[in-house]
Amino acid sequence: MMMTNPNDDMLDDLFAQARSLNPVPSDALMARVIADADAAQPRRATVSVARPGVVARILDAIGGWPAVSGLAMATVAGIWVGVAPPASVQDFTAAMMGDELSINLFATDLIVEAGVLGDG
Amino acid sequence: MNATPDPFTGAQDAALLVAYANGDEQAARHLTARLLPRVLAQATRMLGNGSEAEDVAQDAMMRLWKIAPDWRQAEAQVGTWLYRVVANLCTDRLRKRRGGLSLDQVAEPLDTAPSVTAQMQEQTRMTALSDALAQLPDRQAQAVALRHLEGLMNPEIAQIMDISVRSVESLTARGKRALTEIMAGRKAELGYDDDEPE
Repeated sequence: MMMTNPNDDMLDDLFAQARSLNPVPSDALMARVIADADAAQPRRATVSVARPGVVARILDAIGGWPAVSGLAMATVAGIWVGVAPPASVQDFTAAMMGDELSINLFATDLIVEAGVLGDG
Repeated sequence: MNATPDPFTGAQDAALLVAYANGDEQAARHLTARLLPRVLAQATRMLGNGSEAEDVAQDAMMRLWKIAPDWRQAEAQVGTWLYRVVANLCTDRLRKRRGGLSLDQVAEPLDTAPSVTAQMQEQTRMTALSDALAQLPDRQAQAVALRHLEGLMNPEIAQIMDISVRSVESLTARGKRALTEIMAGRKAELGYDDDEPE
């Protein structure tokens, strides 16, 4: 026959006593917990999303700062091509638009022609 | 007792928690009335000290309020989550007791015994049990407390502690054996010297 260990009996009795503890939360503790809850509660009414400024809205419309940097890069490249076109671009524009042509708007014969027209 | 009818009768704890997160002003009151007694009881049984248990209960509930906006119902039940939080908070406190007595362990008697003498003896025994728990490794103390102080079944404890049932069995067996050895020397002091538990 198996003997029970008296120390086990003591421990089981202590466990049973602990399980029988059912403290009722005091009013003060309830009040503290509810005050914590109220303080931590997300408030729908007070949550407002700040309206973005004009610059932010424009930025947003064109795709943010990455888009701005792309635009800036394209602009700089365009100016550079205009100022110092690479040979291939120069050949291409010559082929499409003909060779360089200059007209002097203040040439004498044109003024004469204008005078003839005025007299006539 | 509070006789106010519960308009949330039948609602799951998680549903109340979501209502709280959505700004419902009554949800927290009903959740507190439902959950705080069990939270306080678990802390009291593990710590054997009313004052410390109140602090842990308030802290555990505060963590519940803070996690409410991010609560994912599919992941855990509120009750399971609270068991885990209270167990962790209690072992944090028990760990601090190791190597020395808790300064306020007799400051706040447990208010449950019928007479002063019985109350004092119960206080002494519950403090002794809690101090013995404090000498166990954290996981053993948690498993023993959930099994023997809360009366939970091993599968539920496994879920709370996020371990296998076999691990729970091992932890509770080793923990109880260690507790028996620790408490053996205190039999007379705790009124068990006649080998007959009262």
